[in-house]
Amino acid sequence: MNFIQRILIEPLERFYEQFLTFIPNLLTSIALLIIGVVLGSILRLIFLKIFRAINLDKIAQRIGLFEMFARKGARGSLSAFIARLIGWIAIFIFAAIAVQSLRIPSIENLIERFFLYLPNVFTALVILAFGYIFSNFLGRAALIASVNAGIRRAGMVGRFVKLVVFILSATMAMEQLGIGRDTVLIAFAIVFGGIVLALAIAFGFGGRDIARDYLQRNVNHPKEQEKDIEDHINPL
Amino acid sequence: MFQTIDGNGPRSALKRQDVQTKLSRIGKADILVGIPSFNNAHSIGHVVRAVQAGLAKYFPDKKTILVNSDGGSTDGTMDVVHQTTIDDFRSILVSHRIESFSKIAIPYHGIPGKGSAFRTIFEIARALDVKACAVVDSDLRSITPEWIELLIKPVIGDGYDYVAPLYHRHKYDGTITNSIVYPLTRTLYGKDVRQPIGGDFGFSGRLAAFYLTKNVWESDVARYGIDIWMTTTAIANNFQICQAFLGAKIHDAKDPGADLSAMLFQVVGATFDLMEEYPQTWKRVVSTEHVPVFGFTYEVGLEPVNVNIQRMLEKFRLGARELGPIWEYILSRDTMDFLTGLADAPKEDFHMPDRIWADIIYSFALAAHHKVINKEHLLKSLTPLYIGRTASFVIETREASGQEVEDKINKLCEEYERLKPSFIERWQ
Repeated sequence: MNFIQRILIEPLERFYEQFLTFIPNLLTSIALLIIGVVLGSILRLIFLKIFRAINLDKIAQRIGLFEMFARKGARGSLSAFIARLIGWIAIFIFAAIAVQSLRIPSIENLIERFFLYLPNVFTALVILAFGYIFSNFLGRAALIASVNAGIRRAGMVGRFVKLVVFILSATMAMEQLGIGRDTVLIAFAIVFGGIVLALAIAFGFGGRDIARDYLQRNVNHPKEQEKDIEDHINPL
Repeated sequence: MFQTIDGNGPRSALKRQDVQTKLSRIGKADILVGIPSFNNAHSIGHVVRAVQAGLAKYFPDKKTILVNSDGGSTDGTMDVVHQTTIDDFRSILVSHRIESFSKIAIPYHGIPGKGSAFRTIFEIARALDVKACAVVDSDLRSITPEWIELLIKPVIGDGYDYVAPLYHRHKYDGTITNSIVYPLTRTLYGKDVRQPIGGDFGFSGRLAAFYLTKNVWESDVARYGIDIWMTTTAIANNFQICQAFLGAKIHDAKDPGADLSAMLFQVVGATFDLMEEYPQTWKRVVSTEHVPVFGFTYEVGLEPVNVNIQRMLEKFRLGARELGPIWEYILSRDTMDFLTGLADAPKEDFHMPDRIWADIIYSFALAAHHKVINKEHLLKSLTPLYIGRTASFVIETREASGQEVEDKINKLCEEYERLKPSFIERWQ
């Protein structure tokens, strides 16, 4: 009888006591999760209305961010995307609180570390977002300037500027996250330096004749330049 | 949008002690002629002599002043202004002056550009309480003393506030004027001012003081936008305007370093900003009024202009290939389809109709109004389209006479007028 009591009944009683203690935590966490889902939906709707009221999509289009969403395959507008993101962040935060309210030590520890890391993730996301905006803006500016300068590979110049600016921001974001801090920086420096060196060599070899012709023409006969409409007539 | 201010701004050249001393020594003046300059040492001497002779010949009994507002020339432009004088007035058949003539050459402050130079001229005009002013470009080779009479007399003698120039120009000269600024100004504001950005103007002291009440000196108006801003401000604020026929406009070839797209951006940007400033004025206008012309009209010989059409077509095609995705935000589907086809057209079939061009300009104005994309990107992406339109114009008018070209520009204006109601509708 004693044996059965010790082997079976006592553990079951302990489990039952623990279960009774756990039940309120579980119910609390389920309630928190439900509140999170409801609040997430409400926030999504509120922010969608706010973004539409301030014409966020138009602003995004103006600064070049719209391109990402206008591209084939991307769903909805920027307003809808950010509103949905805010909704999911709210749900995620409540889910994390709900899990923590279960009071399971190992999970509590994990969540605490996660929350300490969260500001880095947020900062990295902000850097990436700004990087994307700047890369689009500067890429478009470079494209237009190249076209107006008559550079045949204008599209490539625009894409190159866009890529370099975005890679720079991605490097900064990864540094913020602490992912391969030195590796990323060194890799970026090597890649960027390599591109510049490659361009310098390409220009040096490929443009030798052009440079010689240009110098001969300008040093010897500075006034005998080819004229076209842009340097011959006054458009005003 | 432009704001209104009072007084001299923080960047006023008049705050300098030496300028104030010079002005207090002069006291008051009747007529002021301003010459904005930047590295024009080789041409400004002729302009200064013509102005001095014009003032001596036609206004000997008026107290006059010549102001050179310089943008920091390094070639001795201001020295040339100081040293240039007419020693023997008998050679130009003028009597001796009764009133005094003064000269001031000062560097202006603010954003480098023609508009900032004009601002200094307006400030000096106000400080000296002048009755009439004129401004002339410093690279003019065809200016004569009669220009000064023609630009000043309507203000002094007939009560006009603004005198726009009227020239005979080569049919390929002034392409931004002919294809954008003249048709838009005429259609929107209802005044047939043929050279709204001619560069040489006459205006009253009252109008110069009015210009200074506007806070525009940090915008495109401080650069190439000044001409259209002066003309439109005078029209929209009901100042009395007229035109003066000055003959031929021959000037130095444009500075090769000057960027066409920057010029287009500043001029068209200022034109679009003015549309935001005066919507209630231009929406009401339904017809065009003739603007009186002073001066004896005559035919003149013009210097030939060489145009490299092939290179212009290449630039248009490059723009159509690379900037198509940006134009799609701005232009209608029909116009985009047309431009795509035009980019593939051979030189002999290259033709951009007036309807398409007017629609393009209105669409860009609407895109600027609705802030579809960044304004600088928007206006600089117009450059290949403008070059394409100019190429089409050159191809079509290769054999045309001056009068036939004028008729063609008139037809373009009529197209702008025809599309104006739908433009107003889309503006709302």
